[in-house]
Amino acid sequence: MLEVRNLVKHFGGVRAVDGLDFKIKQGEVFGLIGPNGSGKSTTVNLVCGIFPPTDGEIMLGNINLGAIAPHQRVDAGVARTFQNIRLFGDLTVWQNLWVAWRDQPGQEQGWVSNWFGRSTSRRQEIQKLLEFSGLGDKADHLASNLAFGEQRRLELARAMAAKPKIILLDEPAAGMNSAEVKDLCHRVLAMKEMGMTVLLVEHVMELVMNVTDRITVLNFGRPIAQGTPLEIQNNKLVQEAYFGSSENAQGGGN
Amino acid sequence: MNFDHIDIIQSLIDGVLFGSIYALIGLGFTLIFGAMHKLNLAYAASGIAGAYAGLMSLTILGLPALMAFFIGPITAGIIGLLLYFACFRFMPRGNHLAPLMASIGALFFIDEVIIHETSGSPLSFPAVLPDAYFFLGEFGIRGDLLIVMGFSFILMAIVMLLLYRTKLGLGTRATSQQPVAALLCGIPTHRTNGTTFVLAGVLGGFAGCLLAASVGVLSPLLTLPLTIKGLIVTVIGGLGSIRGAIIAGFAVGAAEGLFLLVRGVNERDIYVFLLLFLFLVFRPNGLFGTTINRD
Repeated sequence: MLEVRNLVKHFGGVRAVDGLDFKIKQGEVFGLIGPNGSGKSTTVNLVCGIFPPTDGEIMLGNINLGAIAPHQRVDAGVARTFQNIRLFGDLTVWQNLWVAWRDQPGQEQGWVSNWFGRSTSRRQEIQKLLEFSGLGDKADHLASNLAFGEQRRLELARAMAAKPKIILLDEPAAGMNSAEVKDLCHRVLAMKEMGMTVLLVEHVMELVMNVTDRITVLNFGRPIAQGTPLEIQNNKLVQEAYFGSSENAQGGGN
Repeated sequence: MNFDHIDIIQSLIDGVLFGSIYALIGLGFTLIFGAMHKLNLAYAASGIAGAYAGLMSLTILGLPALMAFFIGPITAGIIGLLLYFACFRFMPRGNHLAPLMASIGALFFIDEVIIHETSGSPLSFPAVLPDAYFFLGEFGIRGDLLIVMGFSFILMAIVMLLLYRTKLGLGTRATSQQPVAALLCGIPTHRTNGTTFVLAGVLGGFAGCLLAASVGVLSPLLTLPLTIKGLIVTVIGGLGSIRGAIIAGFAVGAAEGLFLLVRGVNERDIYVFLLLFLFLVFRPNGLFGTTINRD
């Protein structure tokens, strides 16, 4: 599905990502973890095209993502959420989804309904996505008026609205309390059951350890370990680099 | 100097009717500012240039007079797109000064082209609008300005429909609020911005033609005052507020009508321009300004 080969990104003298390889399989939830500044978010930004890599390749199936513009990567099948919420605040919840909406391949509708969004079948689908996100009764609320947890769920729904092949979640649990993190765990697992492929960048270990199939650990832009959640938890190198150095700051290394 | 309430209300009516042109120009400024958070100072000039193109299509090609209202807006839309590419598209996103300076340059460029092509003398614009005059009790209403206003309302309604009810408009507003997120939701930012410039340009072309038709003359002397009045409307309406720009357009028209009554045509614009400073100093967010929230 998503394959990253020898990915390198330098900002001036800073090697944010320095030779990263990984391969995410169809239907897998793949975790990317590491201390602050280890290059996780940079990797997400490279995949969705906020800036170009210094070197390396990013392939989605047989599409070379590096060769196409950011908005075309959405058509190719990449969608994401943001660490700091970036909803369209002056649009309603429903409009936030519609503006990002892509019809299922093979079920595209004509331009009239595309322009005005009136087709009933699409309305039903958007409503279904809202229900899934626990926002069923909020369709006409302005996004900026939602509570924090609802905004996070709307961001996730907006990413799903694009019908992506892979969803990049950039610290989706940031700022959440433990009840909200549990809810997010269920949501990500539900997405996995629906057959979605997920790249999860996260600090909150409760989420990472419960939902991921495989994890790559980054430190200073390089992968230092790869494996299942259990293998990673027991890896000495990881404990030193990650849990050892940041357990006070993150409080989630149990 | 003695005015009774009839004089005052009459001048307000005239002003508000004419203000619909300012509302259109202010709406165009606001659309562009909303999309890019940058001012296109050549915007009003592009509308006047469109009106000139409409007029020339009549004199050179011998088209029927109403065709000016077709050729003019289309030309202004094309100029809008050219301005986008010349002054905005390739400028670094964080640099606010470069596009501003470039658009001032474009304003003078358009002015110079008009002066060169017309030898600087005013051209008369055909009276396409009926010369009727109605009485509403004690007040008179110019029929041509009534049509200008009605037509402006139709244009505004179309713009609002586009912005609030279509995916194109929602994409434009999404880009305005969160450019990065919009891009990563698959909205092609550059194309959206280009479309906004074309749309605003067409609007300006209509405004230019309506202005020329109601004044009966086209002159290079129109561009600068219209630019500044457009800016005043945009500032009073609150930069980026669509509804504010429309309301402020009528308000500036009304104020202009009053100044005309009280101080005469020679001094009118002085007081209108003073409004710009008053608002910039005391209410920089305008009457309907929203706090701009974006990274």
